[in-house]
Amino acid sequence: MSLMQEFTKGIVKENPLFRLVLGTCPALAVTTSVENGLGMGAAFTGVLLASNIVISLMRSIIPASVRIPAYVVIIASFVTMTDQLMHAFTPSLYKALGIFIPLIVVNCIILGRAEAFASRNSILPSIMDALGMGLGFTIALGLVSTFREVLGAGTFLGIQILPESVPAILMILPPGGFITLGCLLALLNKLQKKYAW
Amino acid sequence: MGDIIKLGLFLMLVAAVAGLGVGYVNIMAAPLIEKQILEEKIRSFKEVYPEGDNVKNETAKYLGVPDPILKEVNISYRSGIPVGVIYLAQTKGYSGAITILAGFDLVSGKIIAVKVLIQTETPGLGAKAKEPAFQNRYKEKDSVTELEVSKTPPTRENQIQAITASTITSKAVTKGVNAAREHFVATFGAAKQK
Repeated sequence: MSLMQEFTKGIVKENPLFRLVLGTCPALAVTTSVENGLGMGAAFTGVLLASNIVISLMRSIIPASVRIPAYVVIIASFVTMTDQLMHAFTPSLYKALGIFIPLIVVNCIILGRAEAFASRNSILPSIMDALGMGLGFTIALGLVSTFREVLGAGTFLGIQILPESVPAILMILPPGGFITLGCLLALLNKLQKKYAW
Repeated sequence: MGDIIKLGLFLMLVAAVAGLGVGYVNIMAAPLIEKQILEEKIRSFKEVYPEGDNVKNETAKYLGVPDPILKEVNISYRSGIPVGVIYLAQTKGYSGAITILAGFDLVSGKIIAVKVLIQTETPGLGAKAKEPAFQNRYKEKDSVTELEVSKTPPTRENQIQAITASTITSKAVTKGVNAAREHFVATFGAAKQK
């Protein structure tokens, strides 16, 4: 596969949320508003990029039998550092994203990419893989949160676009997350059959 | 056996390097983070009581026994004279603790402003408590009468209109303000009369 394909596969064909159905827990929890969804996507992409680079560089020295604990330590360290650096140097960004940073530790996509990709590929493809997967996840979160915010709160990025009486509160509550994700998955499965990706 | 030791040592090495990295970042970031938190608190103090030029935490003096709701009593001074009281109160909301600041004026005995500091309420519903539209409903309320939450536009001076579909959150914030109000009247009520 070419570098470009490593990048684009994460966006549609192997989209982590819609095609691999990974990372559904943060995807359901934070998609109550578009701002939150995109923020989580950005923080996630940063950590995935760092962990993919380090794990790809260390792939020949990590013994196979203890690779998972080693990955977990590496990922958790990056998340902790990101959390502290953001809190110290970009307080306004931290205020918006702060609650999502610790959640990234348990994001299974990052461990999944470390195991399935970065531990078997050299650094350049790993970087492209991280960027593509990050973008794919961000787009997926953006899509889910757009439906939920518009239908549930009547706003888009905080701007009122529907009259006050229209929104269905259910959509920003947990059931709305499941309903939206379920409908989107069904729609994408249908499209996939039709166009045979 | 030899394998176990080798693997253990490898993991120890990974953890040690990671620990050093995190430790280094922490040493660098911790003082900055502390400064941010303090600045944020001072900014919030200014929001609920803009008049003073110096705020002192006098919780130990005014809150003898630990209170279930009130956590801090801060006195705001202007040119060395106490002019206002800022309470930090914590109550239980719909999905976790809600921390609020409430500022009272010592001269007029009125609530100057209320600010929701920390909350984890439902986004789009209870989380609206941190918006000025809700917080402004407490402005200039009298401290002597107990505040009530009403689901319809208020008809009496001591009523606070609830956030639509978030009565529990509205009541939790009001409970915190009421606790501060009671303590304020009981402790500083005499100061008002002179």
